Amino acid sequence: MKLPIQLSKDSREPIYHQIEQQLKALIAGGHLSAGVALPSIRVLSKELEVSVITTRRAYQNLENDGFIKTIQGKGTFVAELDQSLKNATKQSAVYDVFQHAIETARNYDYTHSQIKELFLTILHESERRE
Amino acid sequence: MEKYIEIENIQKEIDNFTLGPINLNIEPGTVTALVGDNGSGKSTLLKMVMNLVNADSGTIKAFGELVNGENEDWKKQIAYQPQTTIGFDAFTGNDLNKLISRWYPNWDQKFFIQLIDQLNVPLNKKFINLSQGVQQKLTLALTIPRNTKLLILDEPTSFMDIPSKNLIIDMLTEYMEDEERAIILASHQAEDIKKLADYIMLLRSGTQIQTIEKDVLTENYRKYWFSDTLKGSPVPGEISRSGNELISNDATATETYFAAHNMKPMNSSAMELEEIITLLLTRTTFN
Repeated sequence: MKLPIQLSKDSREPIYHQIEQQLKALIAGGHLSAGVALPSIRVLSKELEVSVITTRRAYQNLENDGFIKTIQGKGTFVAELDQSLKNATKQSAVYDVFQHAIETARNYDYTHSQIKELFLTILHESERRE
Repeated sequence: MEKYIEIENIQKEIDNFTLGPINLNIEPGTVTALVGDNGSGKSTLLKMVMNLVNADSGTIKAFGELVNGENEDWKKQIAYQPQTTIGFDAFTGNDLNKLISRWYPNWDQKFFIQLIDQLNVPLNKKFINLSQGVQQKLTLALTIPRNTKLLILDEPTSFMDIPSKNLIIDMLTEYMEDEERAIILASHQAEDIKKLADYIMLLRSGTQIQTIEKDVLTENYRKYWFSDTLKGSPVPGEISRSGNELISNDATATETYFAAHNMKPMNSSAMELEEIITLLLTRTTFN
């Protein structure tokens, strides 16, 4: 199966971490369900144009965190996540994006109340669209 | 970890050209790309590994044995494809298949047929009557199914069309699914290096510049732009500067310096592997 992972090589965030975060989002978001076979380290490395050292590091961290499991001789599979891990992952993903957005706003000299106002405007706009 | 190849301080003089000293280890599960300018000594180095050329000094071990020693058992563990094959011309693909499959105990005939089908190689024509691209395809199809632990390929796809090159990348990826295997690949093809290599060894006019993990190389290099022309002495990591643009080969050190000296680049970006290799193979000064 092909994974919809897109690396940003311009970002200063290490590549293994980008792979890890995107896979976590796909798994916690329910896009990859438990038992799904993941590409081998070599195949994913080819597709992402990174070394197996980088991909292996991402897979190892994901395995340690309980998101995937490797069965010797069979391959790597999405693990069964308990609800609390799913929730924690979702929460931290959204938290990170908000944090980043706030940093960007601060870099443009937005004040506390301007940020709040802008946030609420965007929230209302998106609710209206739904 | 066990090392398949251990190259230590190898040196070789040929006329006015000095190759080395070179140090390189090859471990199972890895693909190492040899990258260099024309005439940098890549092919000579591979020939020394195969004991086809003698080194003036230094040692090379293959699977624990000195390659210029009495015992040549290690050769069974390596499938080597030189840039040009000698002695194939008068034979057809069918002839060569029979000859070569006999020499290699682990020969995989099914895999050979699969390669021939996918690459569309006629087996009934004499080698000499095939185009250079098809000759390369046949030679590769005669090399990969030897099922050895180590594959040494010298410019294996240089004459091939783009779809065939991609097919070869997929086949070599599949070959590497067995983590007991390793590949050394001399290549000028950017796609080969990006999609297959784990390590890159850079060779420039006989001198080993660097052997480095591919992603470390691309993470270290970074380009920065400032709103004004840069003045003052070089900053840590800086390797080139022109006007308002600065290139660093140690992004972390450069950015630490920027932060400490209140220098704010307008923008910054990663660099393509080709761009980094070009810099390393053409830059006149090293720091």
